[in-house]
Amino acid sequence: MKKVLFTLILALVANSLMAQDYKFGKVSKEELEEQFYAKDSSANAVILYKNRKTDFRYMQGEGFQVITEVHERIKIYNSEGYDWATKEIDLYQSSSGSGREEVAGLKAVTYNLEGGKVLKSNLEKNEIFKDEKNKYWIEEKFTMPNLKEGCIVEWKYKINSPFRSIEDVQFQYAIPVKKMNIKIETPEYFVYKKRSKGYFRAYPKVEKKHEKITINTKNRSSGDIVRTTYSSSSIDYVSTVETYDITDVPALLEEPYVNNIDNYRSMMEYEFSELHWPNEPIEYFSNTWEDVTKTIYRDSDFSDQIYKSNHFEVDLALVLASAKTEAEKITAIFELIKHKIKWNDYTGITTFNGTKKAYKEGVGNAADINLNLVSMLNSAGFNANPVIISTRSHGIPLYPTLNGFNFVIAAVELEGGLVLLDATDTYSTPNNLPLRDLNWNGRLIRKDGSSESVNLIPTEPSTESVYMMVSFDEEGEATGMYRKSYYNLNAQNYRNKKGKLKDEDIIAKIEAQNSGIEIGDFKIQNKENSYKPLVEMYKFNSESMVDKIGNKIYLNPLLFNATTVNPFKLENREYPIDFGTPISEKNNIVITIPEGYSVVSIPEVLKIGLSNNFGIYTYKVINKGNKIMVQSNLKINTAIFPAQNYQEIKEFYSLIVNKNLEKIVLEKTTTL
Amino acid sequence: MIRIIKTPIIFLLFSTLLYSQDYSFSVSKIPENLTSNANSVIRFQDISIEIQAQDKMIFKVKTAVTVLNKLGDQHKYISVDFDKNQKIKEIKTLVYDAFGNEIEKVKSKEYEEVSAVDGSTLYGDSKVLYYRYVPTVYPYTIYSEYEIETINTGFVPDWRPISSYLTAVESSTYNLVSAEGLKVRFKEKNFEDYTIEKETSETSLSFKIENIPAIKREPYSPRLAEITPVLITGLYKFNLEGIKGEAANWSEFGKWQYDYLKAGNDHLLASTKMEVSKLVEGINDPIEKAKIIYKYVQDRTRYISVQVGIGGWMPIPADVVHRLGYGDCKGLTNYTKTLLDAVGIESYYTVIWAGDNSKDIDKDFFSMQGNHIILNLPTEKEDIWLECTNQKVPFGYLGDFTDDRDALVITPNGGIIKHTQRYAPEDNYQHTKGSFEIDANGTIKAQVKINSKGTQYMDNLLRNDGESQQELENLFKEYLSYINNIKFSKIEVFNNREAMAFEEEIEFSATNYATTSGSEMLIPINAFNRNSAIPNRVRNRKLPFEISHGYVDVDEIEITLPSTLQVVYVPENKLIESDYGEYIVEVSKIDEYNYLYKRTIRIEEGKHPKEDYDLYRTFRKNIRKYDNSKIVLKSK
Repeated sequence: MKKVLFTLILALVANSLMAQDYKFGKVSKEELEEQFYAKDSSANAVILYKNRKTDFRYMQGEGFQVITEVHERIKIYNSEGYDWATKEIDLYQSSSGSGREEVAGLKAVTYNLEGGKVLKSNLEKNEIFKDEKNKYWIEEKFTMPNLKEGCIVEWKYKINSPFRSIEDVQFQYAIPVKKMNIKIETPEYFVYKKRSKGYFRAYPKVEKKHEKITINTKNRSSGDIVRTTYSSSSIDYVSTVETYDITDVPALLEEPYVNNIDNYRSMMEYEFSELHWPNEPIEYFSNTWEDVTKTIYRDSDFSDQIYKSNHFEVDLALVLASAKTEAEKITAIFELIKHKIKWNDYTGITTFNGTKKAYKEGVGNAADINLNLVSMLNSAGFNANPVIISTRSHGIPLYPTLNGFNFVIAAVELEGGLVLLDATDTYSTPNNLPLRDLNWNGRLIRKDGSSESVNLIPTEPSTESVYMMVSFDEEGEATGMYRKSYYNLNAQNYRNKKGKLKDEDIIAKIEAQNSGIEIGDFKIQNKENSYKPLVEMYKFNSESMVDKIGNKIYLNPLLFNATTVNPFKLENREYPIDFGTPISEKNNIVITIPEGYSVVSIPEVLKIGLSNNFGIYTYKVINKGNKIMVQSNLKINTAIFPAQNYQEIKEFYSLIVNKNLEKIVLEKTTTL
Repeated sequence: MIRIIKTPIIFLLFSTLLYSQDYSFSVSKIPENLTSNANSVIRFQDISIEIQAQDKMIFKVKTAVTVLNKLGDQHKYISVDFDKNQKIKEIKTLVYDAFGNEIEKVKSKEYEEVSAVDGSTLYGDSKVLYYRYVPTVYPYTIYSEYEIETINTGFVPDWRPISSYLTAVESSTYNLVSAEGLKVRFKEKNFEDYTIEKETSETSLSFKIENIPAIKREPYSPRLAEITPVLITGLYKFNLEGIKGEAANWSEFGKWQYDYLKAGNDHLLASTKMEVSKLVEGINDPIEKAKIIYKYVQDRTRYISVQVGIGGWMPIPADVVHRLGYGDCKGLTNYTKTLLDAVGIESYYTVIWAGDNSKDIDKDFFSMQGNHIILNLPTEKEDIWLECTNQKVPFGYLGDFTDDRDALVITPNGGIIKHTQRYAPEDNYQHTKGSFEIDANGTIKAQVKINSKGTQYMDNLLRNDGESQQELENLFKEYLSYINNIKFSKIEVFNNREAMAFEEEIEFSATNYATTSGSEMLIPINAFNRNSAIPNRVRNRKLPFEISHGYVDVDEIEITLPSTLQVVYVPENKLIESDYGEYIVEVSKIDEYNYLYKRTIRIEEGKHPKEDYDLYRTFRKNIRKYDNSKIVLKSK
């Protein structure tokens, strides 16, 4: 007895000698005493430890269940980190009611140091809330009791799932992670495709493990005497065990001009790709692009939607009657679909209403609309195919995967190249897709199973071109005429956002942005005609456009169109700058100086460029008699600007801003 | 201007039920004056309420809205709130085209049942039934009708016929009948400028308004509810989540609230009582004691919203809040009150409308009002008000969230309406003191201390307190966004609770602050506090305007110019006076290259007629002009 006690004490001592113990409940005083995180003192909280194990267990009568066990321990340094004490667990339920994910064995504790002792506060059952968000998702939510600055919260729970999906393994959070152990075990029957994402990469150690299922069967023989016999059989199989041991992951910080921060979050995605039941052919879900294409087309729905429709014959004949060239035909069909079916704001690569019903009722999701378009283009004799894409909010699909895509658009293969079309947006035009579509590459898929990567970023820049004529009187008051033309994505965005506003509201917006000017005679040309540039025109006057000091007038050559603030304020940058599309901004201004004044000085010419031909800026002020001509031209030739060149683009904009701040100086030379 | 129509009440009540069959939804039937300036037109809205018993109320709402263009699309959403005590008995939605032909009949499975709880709430038990129509063509008319049965007669639906901008109203009716013995109370607000038909008795109400053109939102305009008709109604005998009540005035209503709120919610463990008694041991001044308790609550709690029980009106019991260390405004206020009770200090649970646009609890009409709870601490000198959901604010600080408005103070003897503290412009004070130096290349080197109080204290506290150094840099780059190339060498912020002030100290340098043009250098004189926003211009303003909070900013800045250049011009002193405040700039010369720039801006709160809006704009334009003044230097 004594001996046992002795070893026990020894074990205890050994335990407390270790700085960290990752067993649930074994929170140390040292951890509680820590005032800040040495590796990142700005962290409000740190994930001290995260353990996750996902494996498959065979349940008689139910088949394989996916069990995920989670254990997390989080240190909270100050009250700004209190949000990390609230946990939300999202649980899926099938809408048919055939199965749902469930949480079991939830235990959660807050630890505080009080008078040198570790004080535990347990989460009670009635402090866990279950909220049915909608018919697919249930959220289990709780927030930890008795939080104090410096406390540690810890919880563990199990999710039982009848579904085959394995939750992605996330390595990076908005706070740093100190240590993480993750184990994913999958039986040979289920094959998952893994994809690593983000700047911080982690790869698992892979092992095999032999496992066994025992199945008990009850047999009843019928006959004169009913007899029940019990038999038991067992099946051997091999599991793949993947283990991630990770330490010290930095926090993921948000930056401006980033398309979608999740694109940079480090994680390993698991997608179910093959089913290998014994003695049955392997069923593929997705693996290669061919598999993805096959999977989509095997869904007969998709194929039928495109190739077996004739619900639009009459309308199609009508619009084709007046179209002659290929371009005219494509445009006519595109506009017909836009006119016929309105988007219900739902994404999706499969149809929601079905192409026929959507066409008839005039409402549909992305697939309803754009598969109708593909179908109609094919009927008109074009080689048109669907292009599956992932919208900006959905992240980047770098690998062959179905889940990676959430939207479908149409492409026509012409001799001169591809024409991309998205009829969900009223104001988009051929090869001028809405911004939400402009996310890396799409995948064009053909019925024969072939597919190819498609660049979605337009080559034509999103353009703004301003022409202005201004004259000043001796008081420095300006009167002028302004004309701004918008092309491509810029025009599309204008039509979608400002175009539906009343003129007076647009005027109010322009006046508010360029405070000091008052607008009259406002006009917009081509507000609805997407095939022409949108032109905004107005007359303006302003009392405060210049500085009048003594007998001098100081004015900015670009007037209220000057770029006076550098958009790139951060010292450094981790992630690429996303402009959406190439950009072009032009200004052409003619200034008439007041009578009796002459030009003292004008800014000198500026011509600068970015390396790799990524951008160019030119700026020129010319004085001729009482006129001053100002020209500026900014071009960014890439949609995505690499982060490693950040200092260069910051400096580029800084030069632009400095030049834009320089003034023209006028002096009164004669008295009138 | 109220026209009373003598029509039998029964007729009015049931006439509304005939609408849907014979009504023509054709857009051509809308009077022309209603479509101009409107994005949508409420063709009719009929609310009929039947109070069958103290704990049974049925209400039906029928609404037909014609949406004229995309901007009126907020009406494409049909959503109806419900919970376990408020059940939807029936719901129907139909859509008609411009000619009045039915184009859509919504099937029951097309409604979605979703949680009505927003992201900031941990949990709530209210739900919403929801449908979204996808318009394929404009105009369209969406008709909805639903019937609700509830036990909560404590909340009788109001009538707000004009409840959104740019929406005209062709007809809106409100009919209420109540069972024998359940007398109805009501109050009309802003009825003066409208023609409203009405018929009322002790147990029935009937109101109708017609032909109201759309109202356009204008900057600085008062809330719609302050200028358009609102009818609020209630009962003398009512029920809330199974608790019955009876009252004739705020005092009795407050007493009833006191009793149900207290019920079992004011217990504390003896050990907790001991703990707090120890904290205040030896202190006699009740305010000092209260400060200690307030600090104790701030240190050990945080705000978490959980909305269950009595439709979200019941606080979490004090001992539970003590154990959990969190609660919402009700739970945390009740907890603070219970702790103060334990040390012998009287304080009262207080219901208020929170928000920076102050709104009063209606002192003439008792009913369930308000959306927030604070604590009232009466002292001999004045009332002290405690915000119990914020862990950072000083004792007794309210800010523009709850200042200057009538609130319901619930005492054991009944309810009392009291007015919360008002902040005068000089209370909302920001003092900026510092210096800057410009070198021959136009680089600025600056140091400045900013001290803010009153509502400005809260603005800066919310923005900057607790942020990391990196984030503070970003925030101050934003604050001084007109200065490019900023490099900070110091940023410190401090929440000085004792002085009720937020203190910021920054030091930075920035190249190209001054711009050169030929041989001249221009230096913007106001480096730290430029006022550039001007209220938007409004053509033909229709609504009065309101400046809801005044403030005073005083800047005192020493300026050192590069002595290698010659000073050509330094901005002169300036005084602008107006009904909306004043602006004073004084520039005094210390020596050839050193100046003191003192700037004072004072904005007065107040309500003004629409005609004066342009005068206010001119005042702000002038301020902006002088805030952009420049010093001119040239090469020697």
